[in-house]
Amino acid sequence: MNMDDADMNTALMVDGNAVAGQLMDVFGRDMTMAVARCAGCAREAEMGALMAFTHSPGVVLRCPACQAAIARIVETPTAIYIEARGATFLRLPR
Amino acid sequence: MAGLISRGFLGRRRPAEVESRLPPGQYLVTDWPVLSAGPTPHTPLDKWSFSMDGLVRKPVTWTWAEFTKLPTQTYTVDISCVTKWTKLDMTWLGVSIDTLLEAVQVDPSGKYVMAYSDGGYTTNVPLDELTKGQGFVAYQFGDKPLEPVHGGPARLVVPHLYFWKSAKWIRGLRFMDENEPGFWEQLGYHIHGDPWKEERYSGD
Amino acid sequence: MAQPVLEWQAGTVTAIRPETRQTKSFTLALPKWMAHRAGMHYDVRLTAPDGYQTERSYSVASAPERVGVVDLTVERIADGEVSPYLHDVIVTGDQIEVRGPIGGYFVWEVAMGGPLLLIGGGSGVVPLMAMLRHRAAQHATLPARILYSSRTSEDVIYREEFNALAAGDRGFEAFFTFTRQAPPGWTGYQRRIDPAMLGEVIKPFGRQARVYVCGPTLLVEAVASALVQTGLPIEQIRTERFGPTGV
Repeated sequence: MNMDDADMNTALMVDGNAVAGQLMDVFGRDMTMAVARCAGCAREAEMGALMAFTHSPGVVLRCPACQAAIARIVETPTAIYIEARGATFLRLPR
Repeated sequence: MAGLISRGFLGRRRPAEVESRLPPGQYLVTDWPVLSAGPTPHTPLDKWSFSMDGLVRKPVTWTWAEFTKLPTQTYTVDISCVTKWTKLDMTWLGVSIDTLLEAVQVDPSGKYVMAYSDGGYTTNVPLDELTKGQGFVAYQFGDKPLEPVHGGPARLVVPHLYFWKSAKWIRGLRFMDENEPGFWEQLGYHIHGDPWKEERYSGD
Repeated sequence: MAQPVLEWQAGTVTAIRPETRQTKSFTLALPKWMAHRAGMHYDVRLTAPDGYQTERSYSVASAPERVGVVDLTVERIADGEVSPYLHDVIVTGDQIEVRGPIGGYFVWEVAMGGPLLLIGGGSGVVPLMAMLRHRAAQHATLPARILYSSRTSEDVIYREEFNALAAGDRGFEAFFTFTRQAPPGWTGYQRRIDPAMLGEVIKPFGRQARVYVCGPTLLVEAVASALVQTGLPIEQIRTERFGPTGV
């Protein structure tokens, strides 16, 4: 497959499934089925369906519709940081 | 974070012959890993601009045509990413921050800089760590135009700090009077980021 | 909803089975096994003597009906960090640290119904095979089809098993497409998955199809957007992107 550079960045992109373990570190449960509502465009998507940029100092989860950053996660040796201002809410199924 | 030791797994290497050039905790790579917080922006060159604004007497903006007429230099530097890879002898062509500063008058209070990029990325650097050749805006890598996936058309390069400070897809520098944290600095990464002091995370 | 085991545990490799020249299946006996749902994965963690650690995720290939063990089918990536270790160093009796099962978004179970359309590229077929193995173990009769893209016929993982499944089950059909070289005499698809191919394969299922797409990111992106453009409701499409390996 002959990919140009723009496609390489897309090719490296994964989705929320790939960070299920990391989300479990933060939330203590499987979060791939949790629904996030994008604060930018109001689209709702399960976290497993969010775009995930993992080749990075941290993970950035983005809205599949408008690409806005919904959440960011950084793991350091002593802490986990999470910022989810890009989500109006996260809805976790019981 | 203990784990079962995996029989026969050796992890990554620090070759003895370059050991002294690798900051602590870093590993040598020979390829160039692609790291990104988001999709590759694609600003067409006829819409691209680079600005210096914030605490300056008068903001200045260059178009691509104007920017690429500025005097350039070639730099060969070692680059360290906080994700632990180091790549030696990377050669760039770019415009030094010193050259760009000749076009603006920065307020005496404007001691810090926020670099800002297409896609919303930001990172902060003290101004006195960008001057005297310490920082430049690069648009060629080797003898080729900088590829979009590695930050082209132009990116900031600040080789003495971790590579997250070398903002890809840069569009400007904003001068500020406080060392405001940028995209990763807000979320646990070190405000300064010196690889030789292993300043990876806040509190290091 | 069952809570997955959250802790790392040491699985013991009880069998290693070559599937193709680049893939092997590792059977891990888990002291704290719990039934996954087809489509889920385990995280694998390696630790070097100096404390360096690295992790990767691998989809479970086995059905949840296969109790006490999980089969992980792993493609060897030449410049990878974990897969060459698994392929070249691991022998039966070794222990591998794993955590899971994880990933309840990308799952299918018989109770969810069908008709079921599975679309995979390269090692993306692994979680889809777990779904088919689960369907077979439950003796389900709901219609199912798989469209599987590989470079050549030597790269088709589980080739004999697909043939056996199709031969024994009138409700299941497998479609293969080859992107680099088809086998001699091949009369089937020989190109990257495109909207025309998708249209033909999904036709009998129409807008009722429950679709799962897994594989390299670019393949998943292209297939998912093609399906949406045919009018298939987006809620009926689930995706799992594996990143940059090419098919």
